[in-house]
Amino acid sequence: MNVAFKKETFRDDYSYENSPEAIKRFPFPFPEDTYMYSVNIEPHTKGPKGSTIEFAFDIDEHYVAECEDKAKTLALDSSRYQALPHMMDAQWDFLELTMDSLSADYPKLFTLTKDGKNWTWENKPLGIKTSFVFGDKTTLAMEPFEYMSRQVQGDFVLLDQRNGTLYADAGFVTSQADWSLAFDAGMAWHEWHGPVPQVTKLGVMDRALKYLMNIQLGSPVRRLNWTMTINPRLDTSPENYPLWGGDRNKVTPDNVGDLVHLRVELQSLFRLPRSNGLFFSIRCYLISMDELSTYPRWVKRFHRVLKSLHSDLVEYKGLTKFRDMTVQWLSRFDDGKPMDIGTHPE
Amino acid sequence: MERGYWIRSKPVYSALLWQQKATAHLVMVEGSAGGLAAIKLFQQMQPLQPTTVIYVKDKVSDADYSVALRKIVPDDLLVFETKDEAMIALQKYLPNALMGLRIYVAGSERFMWSIAQIAGEYGIDDADIYKELTGTLARSVYCVHCKTITHEAHTNIKKCCGCGKMLFVRDHFSRLMGAYMGLMVDAESPGVLPEIEEIYP
Amino acid sequence: MSIINVTVANVEQVTPLVKHFTLVKEDGSLFPAFSGGSHIVVAMNINGRVHRNPYSLMGSPEETGAYHISVRKQEKSRGGSVFMHEQIKVGSKLQITYPVNLFALEKRARKNLLIAGGIGITPFMSQIEDLNRTGAAYEMHYAYRSPEHGAFSDELSAKCGDKFKCYVESDGDTLDFKALLSKQPLGTHVYVCGPHPMVVALIETARELGWPENNIHSEQFSAPPSGDAFKLKLSKSNLEIVVPSEMSMLEAIEAAGVDAPYLCRGGACGRCELEVLCTDGPLIHNDHYLTDAEKAAGKKIMPCVSRAKCDLLELNI
Repeated sequence: MNVAFKKETFRDDYSYENSPEAIKRFPFPFPEDTYMYSVNIEPHTKGPKGSTIEFAFDIDEHYVAECEDKAKTLALDSSRYQALPHMMDAQWDFLELTMDSLSADYPKLFTLTKDGKNWTWENKPLGIKTSFVFGDKTTLAMEPFEYMSRQVQGDFVLLDQRNGTLYADAGFVTSQADWSLAFDAGMAWHEWHGPVPQVTKLGVMDRALKYLMNIQLGSPVRRLNWTMTINPRLDTSPENYPLWGGDRNKVTPDNVGDLVHLRVELQSLFRLPRSNGLFFSIRCYLISMDELSTYPRWVKRFHRVLKSLHSDLVEYKGLTKFRDMTVQWLSRFDDGKPMDIGTHPE
Repeated sequence: MERGYWIRSKPVYSALLWQQKATAHLVMVEGSAGGLAAIKLFQQMQPLQPTTVIYVKDKVSDADYSVALRKIVPDDLLVFETKDEAMIALQKYLPNALMGLRIYVAGSERFMWSIAQIAGEYGIDDADIYKELTGTLARSVYCVHCKTITHEAHTNIKKCCGCGKMLFVRDHFSRLMGAYMGLMVDAESPGVLPEIEEIYP
Repeated sequence: MSIINVTVANVEQVTPLVKHFTLVKEDGSLFPAFSGGSHIVVAMNINGRVHRNPYSLMGSPEETGAYHISVRKQEKSRGGSVFMHEQIKVGSKLQITYPVNLFALEKRARKNLLIAGGIGITPFMSQIEDLNRTGAAYEMHYAYRSPEHGAFSDELSAKCGDKFKCYVESDGDTLDFKALLSKQPLGTHVYVCGPHPMVVALIETARELGWPENNIHSEQFSAPPSGDAFKLKLSKSNLEIVVPSEMSMLEAIEAAGVDAPYLCRGGACGRCELEVLCTDGPLIHNDHYLTDAEKAAGKKIMPCVSRAKCDLLELNI
């Protein structure tokens, strides 16, 4: 992979920007002109070369900056990492999965050597080299889940499968869209999805749970979720709501292109071997409206999706204050002609 | 609240009913309303299995049901003046208890979830604790910003006793904390507060 | 489901009826790690038809150079166990699935009570490895017919020490479920695997004593019941096939080349559930998964164990 890692910020001066390559590979989630919440899960198999779904874990130009942002968020609030005591097997499962995948998929950036249980891991972009004993937490400076979560882009939740449901019993969550890990830790599936609207009527959550509980070793799955953020801010947590909530008032018809961002979450789920748990990865991609307008198919489609979005979803996703202004801004690009189904850019 | 709106994380409580399949029963009730719920329970039936009742009297209660309860509780009745003493009694009871114990609680949410937290340390799932909400609808609120829990919230918006922010009391509930989520209500427009109403009397 | 190609590295006669097979990956690499209580489904080609049988993984979940399974020669075998005993030798090739766990330990249990009858001991072998590794409290109670049928009894005694108790029927030992379950501390989880009547009795006893459902765990590997043959129409696949009397519906669907989902193949997990479009006779539900209401409604069926007494049954697959 030929990537120069960018020096940029996701807070304060928000210097984050996507290069043309990053824009082109953006995981645009809307194949049609309207959007309704659905399960839309597919096998997490190897995708097209260079795409965000080519590998199990996607490392892009924002890798170093994002890891720095995570470290900052965690330093300011340690409750962004939670791990209940019975999840240690799942933690090691997660470490093994991420180390194995990254070293196999990005051999120029990450190496892993194993001599029985004696492992040596090298992360060149972050300048980390560690030798440790797999399974022995005293040989790592921190718990295995925290150790590798700091080195992979995204938010992570480890789920314990018991009592016919899933429990969010461990998490490393620094870039979530508006839910609190500290509050939700230990909750069962239906509890932590409690606040999601409209969905109980559809039974979508029940079907999704059944599907997730049947995910098998060696057969991970993925889906896309989306929302919108003002400024390319990763940490849109309820904890720090006072810091970013007011930004919603700063959107004007002139700055929509720069301030308003589409935030897409590539969610993937893996069955874990020793713990029989599930690992849930939420990988976040941000693109400004200006950047989105690079591709007419995208900007037109998003205009239609946003315009027709159900009011419950507008409210739940926190878009109320700037939805109309954004729709107005996007309408300039929409010629109204029918478009074929599909998420591809030109 | 919008009609038809409900969320699954908000706990829903029901009247206490004896579980026929059990090896022992433990009933814990708070205040006069809780005492009444216990009497109501014993009027259903006197259970076959050994039964212990822990009754915490209200400080400002005008009805003390300990005398009435002493007449109908067949085995052990423990009466306490404070919740703390009751929780200590629970901590003494559980290590010797066996599988097949059924637990029934009646009182405020704070009372019931304190019991659930202690019982959880002994592997009891809160779904297996029968809960009847009596006495008050007051909520405990977890401030997501400073992580303090403020108790006795009777209003839709409550001032956090930790950081002073005005918190909107949501329906999203954490069983492990025994508290509802509180989020700063005026983060987007500081000082602009919706009407404060007493909706949890 | 993902498939792994394996070679049989060793075969050991453990008791007159039980053989222990050691499997290694055909390409020589390590197997995936797994959780105690997991099983794999072994696909065997018997006279041109593929039989699939689930077997518990017995070895240590940490030692993934080989997988270990044990097969009891069933009196009324539909072919699988007889095949494994008589046809499979060192060097034989088989196909297996990745490990699946429908009998997992509860990690937060304050105590784990393990109860095995006969060949039902197999899933506990790997569970005990996990329990010993994590230091969790447990007891292993193992009942079997006679000393020669106590597969792995010595090994278990060594692994579990005083946590192991065996009950030999021929010696007059009895395992009193009620007595055992009446004296367990709070937070105990009970796990039972063995012959159907034993599993049912244990579950009933626990329920009667007031044990919560979530504290009662069971696993059964029983063969699908046979019945009259009938015709099966697979509407999405546009096929009409016959389900012979000794073949389950799931097996008949697989034999027809249709990829049907499954996990436990024993009517317990719900994974193979199919929608019933129409039938001209009653459904025979042999599973433990559907509710009584669902069974009565007749819109769903578990093809791994259930059948129908009809001419034609149409399924949405």
